[in-house]
Amino acid sequence: MRRAKEIVLKFEGRLTRTRGYQAAGVDLWRKFVRLAYNFVVIFIPWEMRIKKIESHFGSGVASYFIFLRWLFGINIVLTIMTGAFIVIPELIAGQPFGSTISKTIPKDQVASAQDLDTVWSLGGYLQYSVLFYGYYGKERKIGKAGYRLPLAYFLVGMAVFVYSFIILLKKMAKNSRMSLASASNENYTFCWRVFCAWDYLIGNPEAAESKAAAIVNSIREAILEEQEKKKSKNLAVTICLRIIANILVLLSLAGSIYLIYFVVDRSQKLERTKEELTLWEKNEVSVVVSLITMIAPSAFELVAALEMYHPRTTLRFQLARVLVLYLGNLYSLIIALLDKVNSMSIAETEAKNNASIWEYSPHFLPTRALSEEEKWSPTISGIQVKQNNTIQHYLIPITVTNKTTSYNYNVQNQQDQCWETYVGQEMLKLSIIDMIFTVASILLIDFFRGLFVRYLSDCWCWDLESKFPEYGEFKIAENVLHLVYNQGMIWMGAFFSPCLPAFNVLKLIGLMYLRSWAVLTCNVPHQQVFRASRSNNFYLAMLLFMLFLCMLPTIFAIARYKPSLNCGPFSGQEKIYDIVSETIKNDFPLWFNSVIGYVSSPVVILPALLLLFMLIYYLQSIARSLKFTNSQLRMQIQSDRSEDKKKVAQMIVARTQTQEGSKKSQENDFINQQASIHSMTPRKHGHVVNFDSPGSRIPTISQAIPQAKILRPVEITSSVTSISKARSEHHRYPYFTHDSDLSKTKSYTPVTFKKHLEDIHSDPLFHKGIPQENPDVLGAGAPGFLRGQIHVPRYYIVNERESRRKPRSISRSPRHFHRNNLADFGEMYSRNKRGYLLSKPHHAYPPHLSDEEEEEVRRNIFSRSFRPRSFSDLHQMPHFYIGEQTERQILAAEDLARMHYQSWNDGFEADHYRPVYLYKKPQSRNFDPEPRYPEHFMKPNNKQKMEPSFTESDSVSASSSDQQNSSTDQYIQIIHNKDKYLKSTGKLSRKKSKSRLEMSIVDPNELVCSNV
Amino acid sequence: MGNKQTIFTDEQLDNYQDCSFFNRNDILKLHARYYELAPNIVPMDYRKNPIVTVPMSVIIQMPEFKENPFKERIVASFSEDGEGNLTFNDFVDMFSVLCESAPRELKASYAFKIYDFNNDNFICKSDLELTLARLTKSELEEEEVVLVCDKVIEEADLDGDGKLSYADFEDMIAKSPDFLSSAYTMFPELLPLMESIRKDELLSGRGGASSGN
Repeated sequence: MRRAKEIVLKFEGRLTRTRGYQAAGVDLWRKFVRLAYNFVVIFIPWEMRIKKIESHFGSGVASYFIFLRWLFGINIVLTIMTGAFIVIPELIAGQPFGSTISKTIPKDQVASAQDLDTVWSLGGYLQYSVLFYGYYGKERKIGKAGYRLPLAYFLVGMAVFVYSFIILLKKMAKNSRMSLASASNENYTFCWRVFCAWDYLIGNPEAAESKAAAIVNSIREAILEEQEKKKSKNLAVTICLRIIANILVLLSLAGSIYLIYFVVDRSQKLERTKEELTLWEKNEVSVVVSLITMIAPSAFELVAALEMYHPRTTLRFQLARVLVLYLGNLYSLIIALLDKVNSMSIAETEAKNNASIWEYSPHFLPTRALSEEEKWSPTISGIQVKQNNTIQHYLIPITVTNKTTSYNYNVQNQQDQCWETYVGQEMLKLSIIDMIFTVASILLIDFFRGLFVRYLSDCWCWDLESKFPEYGEFKIAENVLHLVYNQGMIWMGAFFSPCLPAFNVLKLIGLMYLRSWAVLTCNVPHQQVFRASRSNNFYLAMLLFMLFLCMLPTIFAIARYKPSLNCGPFSGQEKIYDIVSETIKNDFPLWFNSVIGYVSSPVVILPALLLLFMLIYYLQSIARSLKFTNSQLRMQIQSDRSEDKKKVAQMIVARTQTQEGSKKSQENDFINQQASIHSMTPRKHGHVVNFDSPGSRIPTISQAIPQAKILRPVEITSSVTSISKARSEHHRYPYFTHDSDLSKTKSYTPVTFKKHLEDIHSDPLFHKGIPQENPDVLGAGAPGFLRGQIHVPRYYIVNERESRRKPRSISRSPRHFHRNNLADFGEMYSRNKRGYLLSKPHHAYPPHLSDEEEEEVRRNIFSRSFRPRSFSDLHQMPHFYIGEQTERQILAAEDLARMHYQSWNDGFEADHYRPVYLYKKPQSRNFDPEPRYPEHFMKPNNKQKMEPSFTESDSVSASSSDQQNSSTDQYIQIIHNKDKYLKSTGKLSRKKSKSRLEMSIVDPNELVCSNV
Repeated sequence: MGNKQTIFTDEQLDNYQDCSFFNRNDILKLHARYYELAPNIVPMDYRKNPIVTVPMSVIIQMPEFKENPFKERIVASFSEDGEGNLTFNDFVDMFSVLCESAPRELKASYAFKIYDFNNDNFICKSDLELTLARLTKSELEEEEVVLVCDKVIEEADLDGDGKLSYADFEDMIAKSPDFLSSAYTMFPELLPLMESIRKDELLSGRGGASSGN
């Protein structure tokens, strides 16, 4: 037996070796790719960390960190841009510190330049450094190479925005593409999570543990999705609730905006009228704003509970609402302060009719406008960090500075009038304070709370861990908003403080480590783990929105205001962007100038705009139509699937009806399954179709009949050559098209029918052993026949499958008949079959072929029906053969025409086979119960699965000594078979066959048994 | 070392190569590993086809198996006797199926066996429950388990018999993106690094012995 196995393997191996080099090349390449991939993974920052978090806290929390990492990437690029094109050239080639007024610290400030207070507010040395706009020189060209720093400064400032926009939009587009692609295949969520979850390469206990945690999480996520889907809601109530919720949210938004405006207005009035402000009056604005921003999000959370959305949707709503709240606050404040600034500047100009004042007043306006915005932004960040202090800290100084600047205006040194530097300072301060509060809040809210809860819960009067303080949860919405807001500050300030992106990089790194540490040590997973949408497009959309909003003030300042006279690269120019037109005028050839002139004229711009609009409209409509087709296709897939299921369900109904009377049917079921397993294994696609076909076939039988009539002769007649082919079926099936499958299906269905018919009224004929096959009866209604005999059709399905594997419908019939007979074993007899065959042109079967056939049949019989029952039956096999032989001869001698020999034979084999075992009906009954018990049956069946592959392996091993019993015919077949096998060279087929062989190795016993 | 080894005959080696996805050296390495598992039981000379089995308890101590929640199932589904005792043939078989170059269909068929705990040729609910328990270290709640089992059956059971046949399973798993890439690959390189050193020693030692002969 072992030798036989090895010979099989040898044959297989030779085949493989011929293609070995190719395979080796592929292997090598694959290994290389994997190595490269592993290598790359090492360099993805924090990949392991994020994976670990994801495995413990779910993809929602991980999405925050992925977003953080992505922002980190963007900031790196921004840093490189500003660093390489602005900061480094200025440091290398610019005028050194102290050489000009704008680069020296004013004398009265030198003394305090290193005070902690000054440094803290970024004054002193820091103020006069590359950190800020004011330090950069205004020479058109610096260094020997003539680097145009001012131009570079302007272009980089713009490039920062352009790059951010492009990268954001690109990422969003990619994400939406991915989400579209991934959304299509969600049919097997649970299955994949169960069966494909485990990574079989895991060998490290820690990895195994976190993988298990990840699997639990992913299953929980799926469960949650499922429950959300299932939630049968009272639609009217939910809609009402949602409307109410939205009204509430809108009301609170409007209320908060009004409140802020009111407070700002009041404080301005107070400032004007009162000399001395009380503490409350000073801090009123900031306190109110921070209170609103603290309370409103939790109120929104409560409101969101009303709406009963999916947690993911809830998160989005929450994010959007909080963002709107922040922005509303921000803008209401800006507007209020702008009012104030305007009124104050008017008052100033009236008070002092100094020329210099006229000159400078425009500078003031922007200063204030911007600084107010800045003042405002801290509110947001502060709120996110849940600290009022930030806001207070900022709002007060700023409102105060406004006053002081306006009053002390004349006294101030010109140096101090660099509003760009001031803006930059404010932004950087803001960023620093934000960072400090983030760290503080993480430590306080998460870490110390965690410590407190952990260590004091034992000696506390209530359970700290489960009741009031609990452990902190990671709040995705707030943290993401914090990131978005933080990035907004960077964008706003980058133009005025080129080092801001670099600072932000450091900040994000710190945040990453601190956050991930805090999450892993002090936080508990959210009660509801939900799956983050694979594309974090919502975060990105918010970021885009933020970018736009942050860009507006900067662009506004650049376009609207005159740059400071005494500092910065643009000093002395009327507008900042003049640098571009100036460069074009002076440094480019004349023709370029005129071209620019034309291009920027309305003649060109208006049509270009129109064109853009048209293009947008066109693309939009295309996108809409694509979306439509997409949804249509998806629906089609869905309906196909459900239809398949329906058909299968029909079949099941039919089967349940037959359950009582069909002990044999169970047997056939198994065979069927086994066969179907076989047929399915190699084919990667169309499984569903094939598999469902049993179900679908039943209803279609009646339709298929006419075709079947036509086709059947061919099949039957071709059976002569079939045996060897049948053997090699397995190798070939991959090449077959579905069309042929279909035709097969049709062609075979009638057979099933006939069998039914036969089943029904052929019992008495049993002993006559006359084949009965009446094509005319085929048309009879399927359901009636199906009633008791569902197993038969199923049986045929099996046949069809196998036949399908053959390119041309050769030679199926013998097997059919066997199986028919087997299936119905004693009961059905095909008298008509004979007649039918007589009418066929190719009925003459040479005797030796029939031998072959017999062999084949024998094997089939053995492998299919014998095997599963019990091994103890084996000893009866010889009987069977002998009996069969003789019987056949007898039969041949009888009134049957030789022509029918073959088909006859088949019929008889089946007959025979039965008698040998069961000889009489009572006996057969004894056998029947067996299939009923799956427990007993399964195991053999399992083996049985391998049988078809065995036919190959048998054939191969026929040369081995083990199988001397096998006839020479068989041997010939084998060779034949092998040839075919060899011819079918596709790699795939080889692999498959290999796999088949592998499988066959598992049960060599069968092999031997069936051949002995 | 090819010709000098005395573990297998050339014919045997050829056969092994033919029935697995390994080459000569791999087979020898595999034998070394097999030998190493139970030096008392496994002979160095395999030319006479001795019938030797290594019990499951030893096999699952291999580093590749240690953390695998389905280790017993894997070993059992490859063992000829179903008890988890592996002959060398089974052993080669196992490595071959679980190596990277094995075709997916083959992997799928064994995956099915792995999950079919009661060997009834169907993955039924009890199988699923066991699978889940192993996969999640029994961390899921009772009703969660029930829900997941129901959903799995509902998703993948095409013929509606309330359990997954191999066809259902194969159909489902073939569509999985994970499965297409790398699922059920246990031995990407034949041997892990730390093992291979000892292996080399073994092999060289054996080479010396054989030349002495």
